[in-house]
Amino acid sequence: MSNVVAHAGQHADSPSRAHHRALQHHFDTMPQQKEAAVIGMWVFLLTEILFFGGLFVAYMIYRIWYFDAFAEASRSLSLFWGGLNTAVLIGSSLTMAMAVRGAQTNKRKATVNWLILTMILGCVFLGVKVIEYSDKFEHHHVPGPNFVWASEHAAPVAEGGAEHTPAPEAAAGHRKLSLTPSQLQRTTQIYFSLYFTMTGLHALHMIIGIGLMSVITWMAWKGRFDEEYYTPVELSGLYWHFVDIVWIFLFPLLYLVERHT
Amino acid sequence: MSDHVSPVSLYITIFASLMVLTAVTVGAAFVNLGQFNFLVAMLVAGFKASLVVWYFMHMKYQSHLTKLALAVGLFFLVILLGETMIDYASKDFTPMPPKIDAESEIVKP
Repeated sequence: MSNVVAHAGQHADSPSRAHHRALQHHFDTMPQQKEAAVIGMWVFLLTEILFFGGLFVAYMIYRIWYFDAFAEASRSLSLFWGGLNTAVLIGSSLTMAMAVRGAQTNKRKATVNWLILTMILGCVFLGVKVIEYSDKFEHHHVPGPNFVWASEHAAPVAEGGAEHTPAPEAAAGHRKLSLTPSQLQRTTQIYFSLYFTMTGLHALHMIIGIGLMSVITWMAWKGRFDEEYYTPVELSGLYWHFVDIVWIFLFPLLYLVERHT
Repeated sequence: MSDHVSPVSLYITIFASLMVLTAVTVGAAFVNLGQFNFLVAMLVAGFKASLVVWYFMHMKYQSHLTKLALAVGLFFLVILLGETMIDYASKDFTPMPPKIDAESEIVKP
């Protein structure tokens, strides 16, 4: 217990502040400890930004190259489910912010309830994702040997000869794509590869987030947090909001490539 | 503790703004703006992300050091995206899909 004695000596200049039980010995004060944790979390999130950033770069290049394929493949996604999931995730960010607020204001029950609500919304999001994924399996939109892209808008394949006739101008407002069915088959697969990688990694982050939150909820229920120490709630909140931000970008990039045609 | 506690009304306002902006981005996608469709979508998404970072993630109340950490991360993200795109735009890597079979060739739109 010599540590405690040493600490008591160090903090002799501020005797009014009692030594918080969550204060670790290598920090002077609770705010200092919290700031260190928050910066550490942000540095971790930055590695996450760059991790997803690599995927965004791949997406950008292929989108520019095969824009028509991306536009057409994107139109096959359900805007209803995508929009609903965006709303659900934004809602879960609100409930998470409220959970952190509950911890800040020393409301144990409110913190627990908001955390549980956040986890429920996270599960709703994943449930919708399951519906969307199974829809893609049904329609053979999963990249691989069974991938089939049955397009109505593909340019006609040149008959027999090696020469390809340019796509005729579209009638009645429907733009003909300049890719042949076999090219579309190939290039839409790239879109769906990126779709499954990006949404899959995003979903994995959500599963991890829900796992984190279930531990935090248990800790909150046990009364481990108060207005001076709620760092775990704050940090899992940062993580959850980050996952929300990734989706804020994924939604327009994947669902809204070109909807106006 | 000196931590800033945001009022509930602020969180509700941010949530409502995010929902409205989601509707805006969906609506804008159905209007033909040519090249600007993508720009609008990304600007709206960027603004939404900023709202989340600034208010939900409490960046507004963090120290300068934490803000600097975020700025550094975004700086490298810009390098990652920007310089890669500059490379692809300036080096004339042809945006051609691989030849898939003998009789089909890409026709530029």
